[in-house]
Formats: sequence, C-alpha cells, structure tokens
Amino acid sequence: MESLSAHGLSLFVKTVWDPENGVYGVLGPILGTIITSLISVSVSLILSFSLAITIAEYLEGYLKKIVSSIVEFMGGLPTIIYAVWASKYLVPLLKNNIMEPLHASLPFIPLFSCRPVTGFSIFAAGVALGISTVPYVAAIILEAYENIPLIYKEACYGIGATKYEAIKTLLSLARPAIIAALILGFARSLGETTIVALTIGNSMTLTPCLFSPGYTVSALVASQFANAFLYQHAESVLYASMLVTTLISIILSLYASKLIIDWRSRVVV
Amino acid sequence: MYSWRRIRERLFKITVFGVATLALIPLFHLIIVVFINGLPTILEAGLEFLVDLPPTPLSQRLGGIAPSLVGTFVVTMISLPITIVLGLFTAILVTEFPKSRLSITVDTIAKSLSSIPTIAVSMAVFSLIVVLVNAIPELRAFLNPAGSALTGSLALVIIALPFSYTYFSTFLRSVPATYKEAAHSIGMSRWAVIIRVVIPVVKKSMLVAVLMTMARIMGETAALLFTAGRYRNGLPVSIFGPVDAVPLLIFDYILSPFEVWHKVAWGATLILLLFYMLIFSVVKVVVKEVKLV
Repeated sequence: MESLSAHGLSLFVKTVWDPENGVYGVLGPILGTIITSLISVSVSLILSFSLAITIAEYLEGYLKKIVSSIVEFMGGLPTIIYAVWASKYLVPLLKNNIMEPLHASLPFIPLFSCRPVTGFSIFAAGVALGISTVPYVAAIILEAYENIPLIYKEACYGIGATKYEAIKTLLSLARPAIIAALILGFARSLGETTIVALTIGNSMTLTPCLFSPGYTVSALVASQFANAFLYQHAESVLYASMLVTTLISIILSLYASKLIIDWRSRVVV
Repeated sequence: MYSWRRIRERLFKITVFGVATLALIPLFHLIIVVFINGLPTILEAGLEFLVDLPPTPLSQRLGGIAPSLVGTFVVTMISLPITIVLGLFTAILVTEFPKSRLSITVDTIAKSLSSIPTIAVSMAVFSLIVVLVNAIPELRAFLNPAGSALTGSLALVIIALPFSYTYFSTFLRSVPATYKEAAHSIGMSRWAVIIRVVIPVVKKSMLVAVLMTMARIMGETAALLFTAGRYRNGLPVSIFGPVDAVPLLIFDYILSPFEVWHKVAWGATLILLLFYMLIFSVVKVVVKEVKLV
C-alpha cells in the first residue's frame, strides 16, 4: 500500500494536486488535518471541561442523571446528523458572527486575513468537530475526576477550601488524565470524515488563514478515492497519506491510554 | 461581607454553568432543526417516503428512500450478529484470562483498532476485495468489486468490533467475584460458570451492548463510502450485489446542488435520528431495570 517511492519525501512538502501531470503534494491536507484537529480539541476542551465539572460538582439527583444521559445521547449520535446540521446551520452562524467580525477588525493577523466567502473553512470544520467530540472528552474527564479518591476532597474541604479551590486542587491531581483525554480527542478528530467533508469546503490550497476552505486527509480520500484509479499513482498517494494519519492516530491513542493507566495506578490505587 | 474568595466562587460557578449550557445547546438546536426540516419532507411524501425510490435531480416528486432503508437493514442484519458473537467471545477470553499473553495482545489490538479512522478501514477493505477478486476470478460472480452488502458488512464488523468488545468486557467485569467464587466452590467448571452464572447475571446489560452496537452500525457513513456500492436505483437484489445505506444517501444528497435531494436528505436524517432516539430510550429503560435488580 505504500508503493510511493516514485515521489519520495517531496510528496509531503508540496501542495500541488495535479493528477493529469502526475504531480502530487499532500502537505495541504496533512497540515489541514492537524490544524482542524487542534481547533477541535481546544473547542471541546473548553466545553467538555465545564460540562464535566458541572455534572460532577454542581448537579445532584435527577438533574445529574438527565444531563449525563444527554451527554451519552450526544456521544452515540450518528456523525452524519452532526454533519448535516453543521453544514446547514453552524457554518453560516460562524461566518456571520465570528469570522466576518474577526476579519473586519483584525485583518492584519495572517490567521484572519482572508475574507470568509462561503464560510466553509478549516475553522468551521474544527468547531463542528469540536462540538461532536465534546461528549467523548467529557466522559473521560468525568470518569477520571470521579475516580479521584474521596479523601483528597475531604482534605480540601477540611482546611476550609471553597468549592472553586477544591475543584482546582482536584483538577491538578487529574491533570494527566485530562491531557490523555485531549490526546484521545485529537486522535479521534484526525480520522473523522463525515463532518469534515461537509464543512471544510474541499479545496487544495495552503494558506495561513483559518477562514479559507481546505482539506483534511480523510476528506480528501472521501472525495477523490472513487476516481483515483483513473490516474497513475493517485491511489497510492491517497493510501500513503491515510497511512500517515492512521499511524499518528494509533500511536497517540495508545500513548494516551497508557497515560490513563499509569495515572490510575498512581492516584487512585 | 463579600470577600474576594466569595466573589471568585460565584464567578467560577457562573462561567462553568454558562459554558456547560453552551455545550448542550448544539444538541437541542440540532434536534429542533432536523425536525423542522425533516417533517415537511416526510409529510409531503407521506408513507411513500418509506417505500418509494429516490427522485431524479429535477423531478417534482419527492419519492422515497426505500433502497437505502432496505440496504441499511440488510447490512445491519449481516454485520450485527457477527460483531456480537466475536465481541462477546473475545471479551469472555480477556476477562477470564486477563494475564495471558493472548489476552493482552487482543486488548491492545482492540484499542488500536478503535483508533483507526473509519475511512481507512473502508479503503483497506475495498482494496482487499479488489485484490481477492483479481487473484481468484471465480469470486467475481459473488463479490462485486465496486461494493456489495457483504463487503460493506465486513467493514462495519471491523469498526463495530472494538466497540462491542469494550461494552461486553465492561459488563463482564462488573460481575462480582463472589458470585464466581461461589460457583467454583460447588465444583462447576469454568465454562459452566460463564454459561450459567456470569451470562445470566449480565443478560440485560448484554442487550444494552447489542443495541448500542446496532446504533453504531446504522449510523456509520465513512466505512461504507467505498464498500457498499451506493446502489439506489432499485431495491437490492442479493447480498452479493451493491446496496445503499441511509447515512450514505444523506452524505451524497446534502453535498449535491439539487433542491429535491436536499429535502430527501433532511427527511432521511429525521428518520435516522428517530431510529437512534428509539434505540437510546430502550437502552435507558433497560438500564433502569438492571439497576433495580
């Protein structure tokens, strides 16, 4: 599957996609994948962090059950439903309320330099992905948080800590697990196809701007694989870029689950 | 008196609550939006939506999504039993012999399998089938290299397997060790303990695992992209021929520029969402019963 010696390393540093002349470069999609996943992780970090703390600390009884059921429900929801919703509602919303103001007020920062024409962009895909990974990351953080032995909590309140201070202390204990949750979320975003393919705008460009359409590896495969056999090497290029993504994803998640196991044996016992 | 600590406490609580609400809003908005856009389609098409063929891009009629529904049904029926059996047996193996080398290997494989992007699985299965068909020409009669229900199911099994394995092993591990010890002490063999003690105890939880796996299989899109064949001009004829699935139909139609197809996609999304809600509520009811026992 990696019969790619014809192109060598240049494959990963070029940004051209020209099957007719047999020139390929997948730097764009690979960077796109990583940037999208980074945005998605930061979005889901903020959201799932608060969600987990709310569920663990502030909600009780019935309400807690309902909210955690909702999170579970979000977790199992078919991604295609997220994708349809994101492409029809989230993208225009982000375009009008976040991208255009940012572009208008801060056009000198390269990240915001291009005009969001359609709204379908790396930024939109990242946010949509972030929302869809919230339940996943929240579940891991919540589990880790509730696994912290009660003694620590009692000790915190015992010395007169307020809830905020107690939570801060407990979270510092759970930090490795939270980092692991983020890595897992990142690995998951790397391979997500449906949501990205419908929101990223599918364009083979590489700009520093977050508001221009781009590609991720999986979106590229989804749209090009079906007719890749028409061109020499096109298919193996796709396989190679997918291989890179898959390897990154596997390594990251194995590393993250090792982190969690280590942490558990150290803190929870 | 309001000290700085008190104010900080308040501020923290308000921020956390606010952001948590923000995290849940998308879900509610999503459900409402799918109903708003999906219901008119289904009402307009009536019951035919479930039994008719999809429309052509320029037609006035809405048609239906019968091929995709049947396709999803067929593919689920093939892959679900395989996934369940394989997942259950590997879970039993790993929970009963947690220290053996085989179990550790299986556990690691399951973990890495679950982190492979689904679209990579789709590519791999696609090329596997192409290679197989090229190597053994007689297979061509059975396996359509451009995709078939069987190929699609194979990809689904690979994706759903680690998922169901995780569910099963969590449930099997939740059986208290005292039950097993009691059974062993009256001289039951290891196998008998599993069949007569462990499985009856977690029977209800098993149902949960099966249902969640089914929800996963039904909603999977990327795995079927290159493996199922996307045949939606008629009902699938055999499991060796190409089929369609509801998520695939939504994916293709929402990307298309045609108004009719968008409408159909919304309707199909609503149906998928309703199915998922149904499964989820059954799961919740079952879980409640489990807790009562």
